[in-house]
Amino acid sequence: MEFAALFLATTVVMLVTWFGSRTLALALYAALLLASVATYLHHATDVLKLSF
Amino acid sequence: MAFVLAAAFAAQLILNELPCPLCLLQRIQFAVLAIGPMLNVRFGPRPSHYAMSLLAAAAGAAFAMRQILLHIMPGDPGYGSALLGYHYYTWAFIAFAVAIVAIAAMLLFDRQFEGDGEAPPVAAGTFARTAVWLVIALTALNVLSTLLECGFAACPDNPVEYELLKRKSL
Repeated sequence: MEFAALFLATTVVMLVTWFGSRTLALALYAALLLASVATYLHHATDVLKLSF
Repeated sequence: MAFVLAAAFAAQLILNELPCPLCLLQRIQFAVLAIGPMLNVRFGPRPSHYAMSLLAAAAGAAFAMRQILLHIMPGDPGYGSALLGYHYYTWAFIAFAVAIVAIAAMLLFDRQFEGDGEAPPVAAGTFARTAVWLVIALTALNVLSTLLECGFAACPDNPVEYELLKRKSL
């Protein structure tokens, strides 16, 4: 679910970049980067269930 | 970036290999990386646009490196199939590293920043506009594909079928 949300957020930031203001696009871009890193850190701290 | 996103989609659809959570994060970073060049096309080149892309590429390289290290032990077959001897996450790491070097090389050309913010950017050409809309379309398609794969819950560590396409057993 969180990955679909990140893809959706990326699509929105791209559309804002293309149609909106530069300041808003940069702010949303920074928020998106932070969200993706936070998602990574959330998963990186999970107990590993490896398939080997 | 459009080529990378299209290749990842092709592997998913043709080989029926569903991306794992870390693979999805790397795919997201490729899409996020593409926003820097889009800002350049829309508003003209600025150091901040390159900086954002560099941060996205560095994060993507870190995500790919984690997946490489998860499968570093001798005898580990790795996750998914290999392409030309390397798994997709290894190719992702190489692509992010190449992006970092390419962005650094582009930053060497100071003249692109002359008249910063004074003159409006030149209107985007057909190639640039096509590339931008291709990336936007591929990213939007990933929203749908990821929703089908993971459903409305946490994405499985080792996905083998689309959660939303599963037949409900009675």
